[in-house]
Amino acid sequence: MLSVEVFQDTPVPLAARFDCKPGELVALVGPSGSGKSTLLRCIAGLMHPSRGRISCGERTWLDTASGLRLAPQQRRVGLVFQHYALFPHLSALHNVALASARPDADAHAADLLARLGLDGLFTRRPSELSGGQQQRVALARALAREPDVLLLDEPFSAVDQPARHDLYRELAELHRTVALPIVLVTHDLHEARRLADRMVIIDAGCTLQQGTPAQVLSQPRNARVAELVGIQNHFEGVFRQGSVSGWGRLHWGADGGPELQVKDKRRIEEGAAVTWVVPAEYISVHRRAPSGPNVQRARLSEALPLGDIALCRFELVDVRAAVQLHQTTAQLQRGELVVGEEVFLQLDPAGVHIMPRRALPPPG
Amino acid sequence: MDWGAARVSLWLAGLTALTLLPASLWMSRWLATSTSRSRPVIEAALLLPLLLPPTVIGFYLLTSLSGASAIGAWLAKHFGLHLVFTFEGLLFASWLINLPFMVQPLQRAFAAIPRSVREAAWVSGLSTWRTFWRIELPLAWPGVLAGAALTFAHTLGEFGVVLMVGGNIAGQTRTMSIAIYDRVQAFDNAAAQQMSLVLVGLSLAALALVFALGRRNPLQER
Repeated sequence: MLSVEVFQDTPVPLAARFDCKPGELVALVGPSGSGKSTLLRCIAGLMHPSRGRISCGERTWLDTASGLRLAPQQRRVGLVFQHYALFPHLSALHNVALASARPDADAHAADLLARLGLDGLFTRRPSELSGGQQQRVALARALAREPDVLLLDEPFSAVDQPARHDLYRELAELHRTVALPIVLVTHDLHEARRLADRMVIIDAGCTLQQGTPAQVLSQPRNARVAELVGIQNHFEGVFRQGSVSGWGRLHWGADGGPELQVKDKRRIEEGAAVTWVVPAEYISVHRRAPSGPNVQRARLSEALPLGDIALCRFELVDVRAAVQLHQTTAQLQRGELVVGEEVFLQLDPAGVHIMPRRALPPPG
Repeated sequence: MDWGAARVSLWLAGLTALTLLPASLWMSRWLATSTSRSRPVIEAALLLPLLLPPTVIGFYLLTSLSGASAIGAWLAKHFGLHLVFTFEGLLFASWLINLPFMVQPLQRAFAAIPRSVREAAWVSGLSTWRTFWRIELPLAWPGVLAGAALTFAHTLGEFGVVLMVGGNIAGQTRTMSIAIYDRVQAFDNAAAQQMSLVLVGLSLAALALVFALGRRNPLQER
């Protein structure tokens, strides 16, 4: 298992702690400049944090307490760089063979390249390969080292969209077949959601939350995580404990605002000001008032067509707030939803997630 | 045509290019990758020979290396080395004045190698030394050849420093550029013309080589 604990104040602040089991794919997700790549560089030994411990299986690679700092050559790490960093003067085969420590390095490299679908391209230099092919060579080079951990630094960012989908499939296949801890750095949530077993949300060098993509996306720990994972519908409110055990009341906006029925996990104090989120899949739109809890009147104020779907903005009637939802363009065309018309939104209590209120950092 | 001078010139130019290379490789790689605060000072010192008049450099070398100076006396006593009016002295002076011509192209070549390529080599298990031989030197190779060619051509054409430090001893320190000066002084324009043409041809060939190599840089094939 790869286990990482790194801390430093300068030049890039870091306060990160996570692990990755063999056969597990962990995605480090965060905005640009959040320290994701710096973390990867720490694992690879390309930079040393001021304090921390990094171990992989039985071996400790870094332990600042005892002064242990292994060089990159002493760690068995396979790293795919963001722009691949292939050796431009060497053929695909030699790029890979150079990383192999086996006596039959060329045969080993040829085998890896063939497995990644690069048969017939062995003698080509990186400049003679497409972006997707270069990415495969970089992956083959990382695997040629027979690493204890595979690190992928935004590996899909330099590949065009059609090639990217093929590469997603191939990475998923690789993930199934190799029993290595795999750490993927990405700023793309869809990518992380699609590929990762677990997500680690990073902001300003700190690990804010980790869990399965479903957990993190439906139950962000705080408002910052909600913002980072792109939950558009996050609101303010005041929490009140309910009379029925396990259930509480949430006043939308402020005390006295529209009341919603929510689950009480006994983590929020009575009367606390909260931030709350509700993922889009827990909100349904109705033309007639449905039965059940948490029904709010809203007016469809805007519908922005985005191909097959349209981004719709619903302004609540009883509170100053707006909910953004994707609806199909067909629904709008069939007149099931009309801009300006009043509808009913129903919020499933199971999807309403409440967090202690924390000031969001200023935009930008 | 003064064949003795031609031999001294070619020998001096070739030897300067060859012997200056190892130290220049080390220095230029350090300059290309270092973040040391002393780097700008060292870079400026290395460029100084480009700006100073050759006679100034020649004068300082002459006075500091002559048998009457402390350094000159020490070299003569401990190594039997006399650097004034000898071929060895010419070679030493050539090293100093050619440093910018050798180091500059090399430094640019090393600096053009992306940091991630070096790091990819380390992560692939290559030692720093092996990374230098297998990755950095092949990628900097056009810069190595350019530096050597420029040094070779510049040594062939050097006049002031050579005259001050080496004097004008036939077969030992008289180079082609000094021989041309000699021939003009003696109103032998035909011989001066012949040797000038040879120098023009050699310099042109060296520069053509530099530009040809610049186009074959693997780092630019992207």
